[in-house]
Amino acid sequence: MSEMWQEAMIEGFRETMKRIGLFLPKLTALLTFLVLGLAIGWLVKVLLLRTLKTFRFDQLCERLGVTPALGKAGMKQPVSHMIGRLSFWIVFLLFTFMGIDALDLPATANLMNVILGFLPQVLAAILVALIGALLANFSGEATLIAAVNAQIEEAQLIANLIRWGVLLFTAAMVLTQLGIAKEIVVAAFSITFGGIVLALAIALGLGGRTIAKEALERRLRRRTTVDEVSHI
Amino acid sequence: MTQVTTWEQVREQCPDVSKVDLLVGVPTFDHASTVEPVMKAIVAGLEASFSHASILLVNADAGSQDGTPEMVKGAVGGPLPVALVQHVTGSMFSNPFAHLRLSESGVPAREHAFRAFFTIAEELQAKACIVIDANLRSVTPEWIERLARPVLEKEADYVAPLFQRQRYEGSLTNSLIAPLTRALYGKRIACQTGGGYGFSGKLASLYLQRDVWEGDAARFGIDSWLTTVAVAEGSNVWQAFLGTKVQDTKASGLDVSTVLAQAVGASYHYMERYQDVWEKQMGSSPVPTSGPSYELGSESVVINVERMVKGFRQGLRDLLPIWEMILAPETLAGILPLGLVDEDGFRFPIPLWVQIIYDFALAYRDKVIHREHLLKSLTPLYLGRTASLVLETKDGGPDEIERTIEQVCEWFELLKPYLVGRWRFQ
Repeated sequence: MSEMWQEAMIEGFRETMKRIGLFLPKLTALLTFLVLGLAIGWLVKVLLLRTLKTFRFDQLCERLGVTPALGKAGMKQPVSHMIGRLSFWIVFLLFTFMGIDALDLPATANLMNVILGFLPQVLAAILVALIGALLANFSGEATLIAAVNAQIEEAQLIANLIRWGVLLFTAAMVLTQLGIAKEIVVAAFSITFGGIVLALAIALGLGGRTIAKEALERRLRRRTTVDEVSHI
Repeated sequence: MTQVTTWEQVREQCPDVSKVDLLVGVPTFDHASTVEPVMKAIVAGLEASFSHASILLVNADAGSQDGTPEMVKGAVGGPLPVALVQHVTGSMFSNPFAHLRLSESGVPAREHAFRAFFTIAEELQAKACIVIDANLRSVTPEWIERLARPVLEKEADYVAPLFQRQRYEGSLTNSLIAPLTRALYGKRIACQTGGGYGFSGKLASLYLQRDVWEGDAARFGIDSWLTTVAVAEGSNVWQAFLGTKVQDTKASGLDVSTVLAQAVGASYHYMERYQDVWEKQMGSSPVPTSGPSYELGSESVVINVERMVKGFRQGLRDLLPIWEMILAPETLAGILPLGLVDEDGFRFPIPLWVQIIYDFALAYRDKVIHREHLLKSLTPLYLGRTASLVLETKDGGPDEIERTIEQVCEWFELLKPYLVGRWRFQ
């Protein structure tokens, strides 16, 4: 009895030690990956920031309207800082996933494969979001200036509608690109867009017919008096 | 390719012409209703003033469908050689901005017609080249002499048109383009456009050599840069008083912001190119004028001041975030109180206006926002300044308007160090 108990104890201890012995290098690998991730992430961030500064990237973003657009969305930092921070986190997360993969746990067996497989879609979605934000800002600004020059009282409203319309369209495209609730997004977008157009048509046709007529008359009459002067 | 084709057309039609004293160019596009009297006035002017000179008449047509070129040939008749060239080829409209450059002459891609005239003038070693628009109803034989004689006899390189205009007509030119050109390049020139121009053969060749026909510069209508390039290049510039300008097509067909973006954009564009010229230029001098002097018309065009002030106020309300990016803080601080004044007491100070134009020039250079947006966002400020001009001078005579325009010019010169300082060190 005593021998059996002793053997069981030794066996249990040996098995645990063996498992710990097998797990420790994996844990060390995880920790090493985390430290490497921090170091390389920081290095990439610093190098990227210096490169962007050399090419006056922030000034370019200011000119292209990216900085004001992001500022309106609550992101007040310079774009180069945001890119630097994003690059750090991308590198750090990549190394973290490598570390988790090194643990060889059954639950995380295919983690890297899944993440790497999803990466192109994420990059495409980021690109779509960036272009969409730029386009929204550009078209909003162009509409605002044109509407103000045409002396349309609701210039701000129209410009905001255009800006948010483009942003909404971009958001739908981003979600579709990421494959998140594809059908729901398409249906929601179609219903919202169709609903807005229908609502406007009904509002103008039923409620605002007289106002629309008066506005058109006012505009046409105004044009004949304004065009008397040649500015150039 | 186009230039070779144009020259070949001339060679084919006028094989005996190898060298001329004077080349007269007439750009046309569906001008059957006006071209005949214009051509007759040109022929009469040539016969009266240059009967012994060798001359070539060139009609560059942009593809008229109403028989304009045939009418040109019929109207000239006689011994004067005429060449009809088609300047619009398949590639002419490849530039998407071409339609924006439709000038008050009513000729699309008008710069191609000028390029054709300059090319032919160079090939024929013409001493002078004059260009007359075909959509005018006020061309007289005297125009020919006033445009060509300074070039042929007084060594002028460029003769700009000068018309008798009504009160407040050409307010953009008077309150911005001409004062800016004067302050930058030191020439007191009215910067009026269209109708008729005179060029020396030397200047025609220089225009052909300069990078003004393609790329960024080509976005602006030719009338926007002919004068600027001539004064910036240090040419001998004259003005010719041509009386009144009565035309079929009016520039007012285009909205004010488009006209402003074209004209001011060209001025700002050439500021970058000729920086080394205007930075050194101090003061200004008048340019000689051919023909009798003129006075400003006493009749006023219809101007809706209330709408202009309203346009300015709306700009102040809606475009303030954009102006904050463009204007210096002290300039912006000067604009803000103007939104609180009632219409009768509305006054837009001239120094503030000048600072705005200089701030916009810097923002244009730095591409603070998209350049088209930047130029068009100037419109409410221009409306404000024009409304102020009308209110300041509504009870005065033409002399008072002239005085105010002169004051604007003087302020542009006075505040030039502000521009130069910021241009160099910002």
